[in-house]
Amino acid sequence: MNIFSGFGRLYRGETTVDYYGKRKPAFIISGAFMVVTVVALVIGGLNLGIDFKGGVAWEAPASATFGEAQVREVLEANDVETANAKIQVLSGTEGQRIRAQVGDQPDAVRQAVQQALAEKAGVDVQDVSVARVSSSWGRSITEKAIRALLVFFLLVSLYIAWRFEWKMALAAIAAMAHDVLISVGIYAVLRFEVTPATVVAFLTILGYSLYDTVVVFDKVRENIDRFASSRISMGNIVNVSSNQVLARSLNTTLSSALPVVSLLVVGSIIMGATSLQEFAIALLVGMLTGTYSSIFVATPLYAVMKNREQKYAAVADQVAKGAEMAALFEHSTTRAAQKAAAGEAAATRESQVLKNTASNVLTHPPRPRKRRRR
Amino acid sequence: MKRRLAASLIGIIVVAAAAIGATIGTGNRPSLGLDLQGGASITLQPEGEYDAAALEVAVEIIRARVDSIGVAEPEIIRQGDTVVVNLPGVKDQQRALDIVGRTGDLQLRPVLQTGSIDPTAGTGDTETPASTETTLPSETTVPSETTVPDEGGPGESRGARPMTDTTVPTETTVASDATIATNTTAPTETTIAPDATTEDGAATPEAVTTGAPTNEPPAGSEVLLGKDGLAYLVGPVAATGLVFENNASATIQGSAWSVVVQLRGGAEGEDIWNALTTRCYSRDATCPTAQVAIVLDGEVLSAPVVQEAVFTGGEVQITGDFTEAEARDLAKVLEFGAVPVKFAVSQVQTVSPTLGGDSLRAAIISGLVGLALVFVLMLLYYRFVALVVFFGITVSIALQFSIITYLSKTNGLALSLSGIAGIIVSIGIAVDSYIVFFERLKDELNSGRTLRNSAQRSFEGAWRTVLAADTVSFLAAAVLWWLTVGSVRGFAFFLGLATLADVAIVWFFTRPAMLLLARSKFMENRALLGIRAKSETAVTS
Repeated sequence: MNIFSGFGRLYRGETTVDYYGKRKPAFIISGAFMVVTVVALVIGGLNLGIDFKGGVAWEAPASATFGEAQVREVLEANDVETANAKIQVLSGTEGQRIRAQVGDQPDAVRQAVQQALAEKAGVDVQDVSVARVSSSWGRSITEKAIRALLVFFLLVSLYIAWRFEWKMALAAIAAMAHDVLISVGIYAVLRFEVTPATVVAFLTILGYSLYDTVVVFDKVRENIDRFASSRISMGNIVNVSSNQVLARSLNTTLSSALPVVSLLVVGSIIMGATSLQEFAIALLVGMLTGTYSSIFVATPLYAVMKNREQKYAAVADQVAKGAEMAALFEHSTTRAAQKAAAGEAAATRESQVLKNTASNVLTHPPRPRKRRRR
Repeated sequence: MKRRLAASLIGIIVVAAAAIGATIGTGNRPSLGLDLQGGASITLQPEGEYDAAALEVAVEIIRARVDSIGVAEPEIIRQGDTVVVNLPGVKDQQRALDIVGRTGDLQLRPVLQTGSIDPTAGTGDTETPASTETTLPSETTVPSETTVPDEGGPGESRGARPMTDTTVPTETTVASDATIATNTTAPTETTIAPDATTEDGAATPEAVTTGAPTNEPPAGSEVLLGKDGLAYLVGPVAATGLVFENNASATIQGSAWSVVVQLRGGAEGEDIWNALTTRCYSRDATCPTAQVAIVLDGEVLSAPVVQEAVFTGGEVQITGDFTEAEARDLAKVLEFGAVPVKFAVSQVQTVSPTLGGDSLRAAIISGLVGLALVFVLMLLYYRFVALVVFFGITVSIALQFSIITYLSKTNGLALSLSGIAGIIVSIGIAVDSYIVFFERLKDELNSGRTLRNSAQRSFEGAWRTVLAADTVSFLAAAVLWWLTVGSVRGFAFFLGLATLADVAIVWFFTRPAMLLLARSKFMENRALLGIRAKSETAVTS
């Protein structure tokens, strides 16, 4: 199969990947990532930035020859990380001062920087103040955010349970937890500094993941309705649904990821706005896992749960593959699909006839069953 | 049908064009956050006695107060012993002071007399005896409709306030746990009596004699102006807001709004409070009206009548003729009013941005590059239908930019770097609505329907999907918005705005645009999305 025919099939929504059959490796891979994350969190924890942990602030009088660039120089000369340093010029009635805030430093460094700043600015050491600064992200913000998230999870579960079904709610929340956990893991493993922007990135991932899963589940629900009359396994339903939305999922991921990649490449690498870099990496990873989890975690998980139901338990092992699955896209019963698939395999004139009748049937699709709920 | 579609399409384009025109025409720009634009910085120096724990609480209270003002993301840090409050986008230092500078001094004082201000009163000296300043109401009867010519006396606090017909303070304080209640001589004021009146008369109110003269107001009394327009002669400060826990809330019972707040236990809270209420309940000389004035920064916010001598349940409920807004305001005051440390403003400065113009430029340029890449992708994949995406996104950006600009002018919304990044991410979600629609359209066309039919059917399906997915996003935004503070709140705002814009654009722009396109002559002999409506297979539709 060359790449173009593959693309064509993708474009027409005719791919026949057995996602359900690959659920075990997928679960193992996801589980492994999550274990790594948890281990990294337990051992190293997150590298919290000044906004969460507080740090040191120096303040010195500013002058024409002593500005932001000079302060940065001094900090770097003393081996202080400046990527996330906050350097600000304050102007008030007493003239201009310059303030530099960085993460916590040992006493020796504090004094060394104080000395160096005074020297560079040409003032007395007493004119350069050093003070410990507290976190700007107070405990109450974290508490409120966590409370809000819990309320949100509850509401979203209720909404999905009402709109779709509670097993979908469970699977969607699990997939979302998976995505957020893995993104947090990237920060824990690579020791990126966590800033308020990072928290926002995690929340974005959370929203994106749920959004993506809901779109896939909407298709699954539609297919459940379509196959309501036939005894067809849940594995088949989720496979068909995932394949049908694959083009959409890839497209959406691409069009969401392109701006983020641009933020990463153009913004942070070419234009040197390093504060964007880690943010963009977190978002990118979150989006990719968000798409992955919708298809490889959420839907198979849902199918596994659904297979415990009597209706699906009996046919749980029947999972159509290849041409048979392709036929399921257009036929609403297993037998018709098998026939069509068999016919295609025979590739005789007979099958051609069968196919024609099949496509004739298609133009008048069976009246949809009454939906349980809209 | 066709006309309605066209009207919707033209309508949204006109609205977007008008909004963006007005925004650019007036030269307004969205204000930017601390990281991108800087703002005002206020340094608060604690005064008197304090310890680290009290300072911590004070910072949390200041944060809550500043946060409750607007959507901007303020930054509040402790630097050494001082508290630094950075307000984004505030250029006017006086305005910054107005926001932070209120000391939030909450006092509870017994009311000696109420009345409306006598315009003939001489001085504005607050220490003058009340009899010259207030028309005396009796203690028990309501000073109903005591209207006074609208002149306003001299003195700093009552200058421009028009004195309209003064409604009586109707609030009452009741213990919600009213088992120890009392042979209540039902107050003659328009009050709401305690809900459970078990008359066992267990608690005989203990009179606290202070030895204050009955005719002259005791030392430390003041005349204060009430929020309701009445003047109050209040006794010395009997308690501060510290008697309450920081958990006041407004609740509704039936149709009446009330405020419930918990008392702090022990000598710091309950004991002080009960000493005051006991005095007032017995209509002691130091509190003849049985009212307790809740005073914030020298203004009487409310003066409820005490309905209990001793509050055993530890819970205080204030009922009365509140509107919802009034109840919420009072709850907020009770909750944040008492800062355990006194602060003085030691410095007001403007601060420069922490990130600098480079970051903003980088974010905007990379956003535009990203947008261009998305269009290229759409164009490659969906051919000329991508134009619908292009115009849809343009309309959406115009609307959102106008709304953000408007809100940053009126509500102090400030766009931080993470906000901008959030908007960049929302591009993907906006484009997704089109993708869901087009993919369905492809399916419908593939199964042999006519273009016109397919467009209608696929929109219906896509609309359900978009609505379900956007509802989840909007739920996230709404919950985060209501329940959080700071930068999380800022994020929630932009997420919610982007989601609403998405729904609006899908319905008012994409739907008419695609349906009209599907009906147009232009499309008759063209393949849409690379799929020609199947005419070669003899299909009867």
